Amino acid sequence: MALSRRLLLLSAASVLPARAFAAEQILAGVSGPLTGPNAQYGAQWKRGFDLALDEINGAGGVGGRPVAYTFEDSQSDPRQSVAIAQKFVSDPRIIIELGDFSSPASMAASPIYQRGKLVQFGFTNSHPDFTKGGDYMWSNSTNQAEEQPKLAEYAIHALGLQRPAVLHLNTDWGRTSKDAFAKAAAALGAPVVATEAYLPTDQDFRPSLVRVRDAKPDSLVLLSYYADAALLVRQARDLGLKQVLVGSTSIYSPKFIELAGSAGNGVFCMTSFFPGETRPEVRKFVADFRAKYGSDPDTFCAGSYDTMVLFAALVRQFGPTREAMHDGLAKIQDVPSVIYGKVRFNAETRRVQAANYKYLVIADNAFTVWDGTKPARLGL
Amino acid sequence: MGSWFDYTVNGLIIGNIYALLAVGLALIFGVSHLINFAQGSIYTVGAYIGWTCVTYLHTPLPVTMLIVLVGCALLGMAIERIGLRPLAGAARIAPLLATIGISFVLDQVVQLVFTPDPRALPNPLPDWRLHVGSGTIGALDLLIAAIGIVSAAVLFGFLRFTKLGWAVRATALDRDAAQQMGVDTDAVNRTVFAIAAALGGLSGMLVGMYFNHIDPAMSFQATLKGVVAQVIGGMGNVPGAIFGSLLLGLTESYGVALFGSSYRNLFAFVLLLVILVLRPNGLFAPSRQAPPEPLTGTFIAPSKPVVVPPFVVLIALVAAAVLPLVPNIAYVLQTLTGAWLYAILALSLTLVAGTVGQISLGHAGLLAIGAYASALLALDLNMPVGFAVLSAGVITALLGTALIFPAFRLRGHYVSIATLGIGEIVGLVILNWESLTRGPIGVSGIPPLQLGGLALDSPVGSYWACLAVLVALALLQKRLLGSHLGRTFRAIRDDDVAARAYGISLNRYKGLAFAVGGFAAGISGAITAHLYSYINYETFTSQISILALTMVILGGLGNIAGAIVGAVALVSLPELFRFTAEWRMLLYGVVLLLLIRFRPQGVLGTV
Repeated sequence: MALSRRLLLLSAASVLPARAFAAEQILAGVSGPLTGPNAQYGAQWKRGFDLALDEINGAGGVGGRPVAYTFEDSQSDPRQSVAIAQKFVSDPRIIIELGDFSSPASMAASPIYQRGKLVQFGFTNSHPDFTKGGDYMWSNSTNQAEEQPKLAEYAIHALGLQRPAVLHLNTDWGRTSKDAFAKAAAALGAPVVATEAYLPTDQDFRPSLVRVRDAKPDSLVLLSYYADAALLVRQARDLGLKQVLVGSTSIYSPKFIELAGSAGNGVFCMTSFFPGETRPEVRKFVADFRAKYGSDPDTFCAGSYDTMVLFAALVRQFGPTREAMHDGLAKIQDVPSVIYGKVRFNAETRRVQAANYKYLVIADNAFTVWDGTKPARLGL
Repeated sequence: MGSWFDYTVNGLIIGNIYALLAVGLALIFGVSHLINFAQGSIYTVGAYIGWTCVTYLHTPLPVTMLIVLVGCALLGMAIERIGLRPLAGAARIAPLLATIGISFVLDQVVQLVFTPDPRALPNPLPDWRLHVGSGTIGALDLLIAAIGIVSAAVLFGFLRFTKLGWAVRATALDRDAAQQMGVDTDAVNRTVFAIAAALGGLSGMLVGMYFNHIDPAMSFQATLKGVVAQVIGGMGNVPGAIFGSLLLGLTESYGVALFGSSYRNLFAFVLLLVILVLRPNGLFAPSRQAPPEPLTGTFIAPSKPVVVPPFVVLIALVAAAVLPLVPNIAYVLQTLTGAWLYAILALSLTLVAGTVGQISLGHAGLLAIGAYASALLALDLNMPVGFAVLSAGVITALLGTALIFPAFRLRGHYVSIATLGIGEIVGLVILNWESLTRGPIGVSGIPPLQLGGLALDSPVGSYWACLAVLVALALLQKRLLGSHLGRTFRAIRDDDVAARAYGISLNRYKGLAFAVGGFAAGISGAITAHLYSYINYETFTSQISILALTMVILGGLGNIAGAIVGAVALVSLPELFRFTAEWRMLLYGVVLLLLIRFRPQGVLGTV
């Protein structure tokens, strides 16, 4: 009881910019969606942040001061994210900004952060131009130019697929991913036989799947988020498609299993974060997450958890100022990460390199590590 | 050949799903001439009621369906009683705005109660599948088709053979006459809302089961597809709505077959426009049917505008101009800069919607054209930013007017739906015309705002620049409304038949209004692009069109000061409510509803 009350107080203190502690808190500003169509991702972020803060502040904070964040809801709408950016820049207590979620919302705010010399740390921003906004834009999001060749290796070398067809989200992320995958697949000797771009709001994929089928692929590669990937997988099976299904890291989520149901079995995917991993930091993260929320974390929770841990490490090593954040990101090394193992940034691209990727397959409604069994080839 | 059969089957399957959405909308439109924007939210509520029953109460399917039907019928009656009946005497535009507000509140409540996470809604039907072509059809597909057909048949019987049904049809034909003949029109409305909401909720549950996926954000797409489907069949025509839905499903499926998935919605909206232009009453209306819209201007009710004394305007203007001198208010300035940009958009919309009576729901498309034009001129042709912004205004005026031209022959709600479609088409063309617009990657590195070497990218600079542009355009518009053009515009709005009888060329004046409005909207979009430095097709969503219309109606249609007040209010309120975190959009929706309830003619009144 005493413990849960303490947790409650801590998480309340971390969400609200509690004015009583204002003088001593080390504050990050978060700009992200809490309402609107992307609110589910903002909710996942909060879980990761809160868990990290429980740990950091449970161990006495940094230099005796508690770490906290103030979450401003932008609805991933650029009009609101720029107002939030100005609000954060004008608030001297905030020493780093985390987010926003979508590229239009994040990159519209970049000029304000750059001018205000406040680091904008976009931990879900894989848009290739995000960190080109200026030397205050940093990201630990996995980079598609690095991730997609790995996915192509999995599909073509490891699984032995020869005729992949790609279905991708028609967003900046999906398009960048598709281009990188197609290039890597061609280099590996198995060029993509068909591509279909769909909108994030689409729910009915049957016609797209028929179109892809007519190119006679032996596999469908889904460059999707988990919710649309689940719809795609179900409808592919309803249509009687027997192709091997391979998904990008973004489909890795317990929600995928729930939404795809039994149609998800046999789907291959890759992930940079896997709860079954044996590294101690991952085991601790997953155990704590299960204890606090009663479910498995997904990639978004892992990303926000990692980011908060990184923030605390930056403050610990370089001090609680805005300039320290900016200079520290270029120097910091070996921060423990549930996604990367150890994090260090490339000072030129302002991104992280060398994520760990695990090969997974879904069996009996659970993600399991791929055991090396190649899927049966389609008789095409 | 085999594939074409598959495309047909798939088109019919999704059309079948659209049909459930369209029937409820058609019923409400038929009776109250109202596009119910809350229908999609009722659909979401129905899905979540179903999910709660299945997850927590483990009810069998028939019981779940019954609970959803009853729950949503009650919700529909509540919406009619609380949200719409108090507005019965007000202009017809007020209930439209009320349904937008109600939809807002319902979506937010669902999100707060059930969290924004998507949920799985498992299908309890036996897992047998029928092989058709190379694909399969499940039991749920057949159930959805059966419910669509049965509900249309029951509705048809109800409208034709029962006394209450006759009352509904009489009310639909002429509400006042029906009332004089002793029909309880309130009871009719209540019945209609209950039936439509019950159908909407049931469809939400069934579609949720079909996709095994429900989330609180699914309502807008549902409304959009339902509206398109029912317009194709003929607004207010229930059997037509089913046929229109199937046709929409087939068009989308064949569209994908021919050009690929990214063109899917483009086909849907082009079909919508073609039908609106060629057969504005829908495919099933008798060709010589009288237009369903009133001949004279009851769509926008006249009201006595509040006269703002010039010295108040002057004081407000001076206060706005010297505001940046107050220290430490960069955040307020940034918010107000956004408000000025929206106010420019609202000026544009209040001219076409309020003064000329063409309620446009596609203004986000104009913003997007302006933004892309200016960004690409500055980046690809190295045009100076100030000149690029001006050119973008001109381009938007020309292009926007040309795009909306086919809709000039339409009236009332049809204009709204046509412009909604045009707005969506603009977004989809931007997404697909990659060689020009860089497609989904978007345009980044747009140069910051400046005028002849003077950088305006600081909070204060952009604030003053936007304020100056707003004041200039507002004065221009005031001059326009005071001239003979303003009188002619209002004449067209109040009675276009009489206006034509006086020799006014409707198309020419509507064209002029859209050109002036397009110029302002284009400038607003262009400045936005330079302030954001990055835009893509998602920057200007159709939600912005609805927000702009809300501002205009809230301020008072055709009212210049009203448009500015509306923009400042609707941009600032969500910022003021920030301290309430997740609750703020709910609070915003409630405030919006209260404003509509007590000032249906707008804060400053229609001019």
